Amino acid sequence: MFSTRKASLLFALIGVLGCDIALPAPLPVGHPADDTPRAGGTLRFASLGDVRSIDPARCNDGVSSSLVRFLFAALIEFDEQGKLVPELAERWEVLDGGTRFRFFIRQDVRFHDGSPLTAEDVKRSLERALHPDTPNPSASYFRNVVGYDLYADKKVPHLDGIEVEGSHLLSIRLTSPDAAFLPLLTLPPARPVCKSAGAQFADNWAPCGTGPFQLRDGGWSKGQFVRVVRNPMYFVPGLPHLDAIEMHFLMNPPTQRFKFEVGELDFVRDLTHADTIRFARDRRWQDAIARGPDLDVYGESMNTEMPPFDNVEVRRAVAAALDRKAFTAVRPLHLSVNTATLPQSMPGVDATFQGQTFDLEKALEHMRRAGYPFDPKTGQGGYPKTISYLVYPLGIHEKTGQLVQQQLSRIGIRIELRLVSWASYLSLSQRQGAVAISPQGWQQDFPDPSGVLDPLFSSTSINATESSNSAFYRNPALDSMLARAHTEFDPERRKDIYRTCNRILVEDAPWAFTTSLHSFEIRQPYLRGYTPHPVHSYNFARTWLDRSTTGTPSSLGPRR
Amino acid sequence: MGRLFWALAVVFAVASASFFLLAALPGDPARIVAGPQARPADLVRVRKDLQLDRSIVARYGLFLKKLVHIAGDPKASEHASCERVIPLVRGYELHIDLGRSYQHRAPVAKVIFTRYPRSMALAIAGIVIQLLIGVTVGSIAAAKKGTWIDRFLTGITSLGVSAPTFLTAVLLQYLFAHRLRWLPLDGFGDTFLDHVRSIALPALTLGLYGAAYFARLTRDELITLMSQDFVRTARAKGTSRLRAFVVHGLRGALLPLVTAAGLELGSLAGGAAVTESIFRWPGLGHLGVEAVLNRDGPMVIGVVFVAASTVVMATAAIDIFGHWLHPLAREKSSE
Amino acid sequence: MSFQQALRKHASLRWGIVLVSIVVLFSVAGPWLAPHDAFTSNPERAMTDALLPVGPSIEYPLGADRLFRDMFARLALGGRLSLLIGIAASAIAATVGGLVGIVSGYAAGKKGGSILDSSLMRLVDVGLSFPFLLLVMAIGALLDRTTVASLLVTLGVTGWLGTARIVRAKTLTIRDLDYVLAARALGQQQIVILWKHILPNVIGTLLVSATLSIGQMILAESVLSYLGVGLSPPTPTWGAMLYEGQDSYTLAPWLLACPAAAIVATVLGFNLFGEGLRDVLDPKG
Repeated sequence: MFSTRKASLLFALIGVLGCDIALPAPLPVGHPADDTPRAGGTLRFASLGDVRSIDPARCNDGVSSSLVRFLFAALIEFDEQGKLVPELAERWEVLDGGTRFRFFIRQDVRFHDGSPLTAEDVKRSLERALHPDTPNPSASYFRNVVGYDLYADKKVPHLDGIEVEGSHLLSIRLTSPDAAFLPLLTLPPARPVCKSAGAQFADNWAPCGTGPFQLRDGGWSKGQFVRVVRNPMYFVPGLPHLDAIEMHFLMNPPTQRFKFEVGELDFVRDLTHADTIRFARDRRWQDAIARGPDLDVYGESMNTEMPPFDNVEVRRAVAAALDRKAFTAVRPLHLSVNTATLPQSMPGVDATFQGQTFDLEKALEHMRRAGYPFDPKTGQGGYPKTISYLVYPLGIHEKTGQLVQQQLSRIGIRIELRLVSWASYLSLSQRQGAVAISPQGWQQDFPDPSGVLDPLFSSTSINATESSNSAFYRNPALDSMLARAHTEFDPERRKDIYRTCNRILVEDAPWAFTTSLHSFEIRQPYLRGYTPHPVHSYNFARTWLDRSTTGTPSSLGPRR
Repeated sequence: MGRLFWALAVVFAVASASFFLLAALPGDPARIVAGPQARPADLVRVRKDLQLDRSIVARYGLFLKKLVHIAGDPKASEHASCERVIPLVRGYELHIDLGRSYQHRAPVAKVIFTRYPRSMALAIAGIVIQLLIGVTVGSIAAAKKGTWIDRFLTGITSLGVSAPTFLTAVLLQYLFAHRLRWLPLDGFGDTFLDHVRSIALPALTLGLYGAAYFARLTRDELITLMSQDFVRTARAKGTSRLRAFVVHGLRGALLPLVTAAGLELGSLAGGAAVTESIFRWPGLGHLGVEAVLNRDGPMVIGVVFVAASTVVMATAAIDIFGHWLHPLAREKSSE
Repeated sequence: MSFQQALRKHASLRWGIVLVSIVVLFSVAGPWLAPHDAFTSNPERAMTDALLPVGPSIEYPLGADRLFRDMFARLALGGRLSLLIGIAASAIAATVGGLVGIVSGYAAGKKGGSILDSSLMRLVDVGLSFPFLLLVMAIGALLDRTTVASLLVTLGVTGWLGTARIVRAKTLTIRDLDYVLAARALGQQQIVILWKHILPNVIGTLLVSATLSIGQMILAESVLSYLGVGLSPPTPTWGAMLYEGQDSYTLAPWLLACPAAAIVATVLGFNLFGEGLRDVLDPKG
């Protein structure tokens, strides 16, 4: 008796969850007709993840870098079109054939503590971030700076390659010309920090920089929230408009949506699959949704040193056998088909180039050429052994991996998914001879092809235990072209080089390129002046809040 | 004294076992700290910073040496990651040092001792709800033994223990926080009143899950006790049914209930990971799970250390309570 | 008391058996009855215009999952696994726990036996002092690849501790009963006493605790999947399906409702069955 009663109760409850979850209308805007920014207010958003650090000297994940941008300005920065523009440096010069970069630093910049920014501060900040005792996970990006090795070995007290030429004039010298050096200066380690940071990293330093917002005591509680407040001395007059930004960590997607609906969050990005679709299909929300920056390129990395993927024909077969459209259905609004090395948003990408395309007949032909003919009708033939596919739990790859398994079974490649923890996945997939095939992704640090292609496919990135080149792909022709691209300062010729690289990689297929991931952002319309940034998440420097004071949800109920 | 020694031995064994278990896990903590895209040269740097370049034996030695020690100069930098426990004579202090967390870059002892009271608050609130529901339902069921009310009530509580907590949590959150807006969706709150409001739903989640056990226990104990001679005698002398129930029945059921509650407290001491994570309650549970996933050895050991200590203390407390309530048990257990 | 009488007298036993039978029947027969294969995605038929899986229909009785596979087939197949894991893990835990409990309880207080008893019980103390979830996760990670066997090991290794305590306490009360003492006085071998006199008296307790633990094991598996240390896909388990469903319940509620109902029904069934069993074996109620 009671069991049926209870079962029906449960179904009723779940039914309530399912049917009664219609989207509410966006919250009203205070002054829709008036485009003048209004000062004040606290912008609130949340993230499913957490940040590990907001010290620019040891910051590595996407969310932290966005947060670091609130607090720390850079010499130069990418604008909303993905172009490098002056920030703390008014202008710069490229000298000595691309081995010397000179920066003319603004005279009117003050740190959060009130002291003026000088060239000496820029040098000190870089030296602090690159100091051998600083646990900086990206220090070696700057290894091309003159004197880096001596400094990293503690042979010299200063980095010779960073020269202070005047109170606001600074030069950086490189050992060899590098056309991809400037973007590095937008990375966290190159962002100037206050004198209180000292010459070396320390855990208890209170973050202090030149950015539009500053951190006060108690503003950061790890795993819970961070609150940054307006920097009244910010060097761009009139900015920022917001009084403060609050970011909450480790918040579940359903909770984020519930809070967003009633205006307790103003901006959401980490919604569930279903909720994202709901917002995207709702006419009332059309002006408030945006495709965010490209985050990752995804592909199936095939270990070119391990059978059967040491055979280029097998790799080509895999590249042709994957129906990438089916992959995107896993997260239709976040994944796009990507058939070549670089995401479409990357400058210099040839939009007309087809890349690796899905063609089952061609895939079977490649299998035949590889010596593993497969008859789809009988299921006979193909590669005789079962291949283990390394994947980690609870992400997109756990789902797409199952599609890879189904799709490759059509050409006679039998795959078994091996689910291991994220920690094991990282260790194993970058170890020589350990994993034949695994899903891989790469998050661009800056929009330049070198930032993706060098670590993934150059043979210099091969390492016995920590190989970012997880396919262990070696191609001298590609290596020399990647090296040449660094010395080529002419943008058009540089693009040409990368186009050739792209073709080589598509043809040789160390990866079967599949999709690219971008974020999908939804904001309440009262969050105004927001433009998605091609590189950085949470581009709130110029936004303002224009909430209608009447009928705000806080008057509806006692929540909070 | 033997008990105390044994308690310390258990805690020590558990902490050491988790140290080696963690060290044996596949995956490199430095890689997790440095991120998936870090280069080999930078990984070396991070590994050195986390002292992972030392041998496991050396690290264990260091761990033991620092775990509990006496500090002569508490201000010295080597005591930066210590949690001071007892001030001893002439400026000497007894310290607990659980090392530094790889992920939090903070003394494990400090992180854990901020969160431990919150975990315990949630555990205790959960147990209180379990007891409230359990004892009420159990008493009614015992009083109405064999009727449909009995069956219905025990059935309803069984439903609670049959649903995974994260399902219950999501349902409760949706109903009470989103639809009805009676309680906050998640978080910890700033004021005491906020804390009370925020703890309600996670505590209810735990309460619904555990109530069935207490209901069953209460019902069985009451039925057994009420059929015993001394209760029948009291009833025959004119004691009201209600009075007999409360005075003789519930008092008799006190010891098994307290024992069960103590064990439950022990098992919740390490935190209720799933419940904490859904309601973003900043306790130890989610911290511990994240730490295992991130291979944050010192943090895992810290959580295990605190949880094991609580279990041991709860067990001891039950014993003492039992002895106090039932002097007879002393003879039995010393057997 | 005959089986029929027991059924008539104990409602929980009745309902427990009904629920468990339904679940077992569904899991055993389901994969054969299912209109589609559990492992093949079929976006052509199972995807709506909004790129979402189709809901319950004649073609897909319980709808389709996020990868456009048949939920009915997956739920039934997942049921086989969940039942297998729940029953086998409980059996392991009951066997180990029963053995340790009987030996420890029988040896307690005897000369030479005390050391065995106390070392076994101290081992149980240490085991029970570990936070359960962390221990299970660590063992899972140590085995590096989760298979049905490794799940059984993980749940079995952690599950016997409580049983051992209960059985030890029960053994302690039995071994001093007159007929056991008599058997010992007659010079019967220890192993015979354990087998003939102790075990039959403990088996009821053991059976009840094993039945009740089946549900807990199924729940534990679902928590493990929730935390990402479950079985490798594409193998369906209810825990993994429940976790997946959570992501889409606003648009595709059947993704959450199906595994949730299945888990609740199964766990409830075994719990009621176990409680009924206890009432039958130990009729104090």
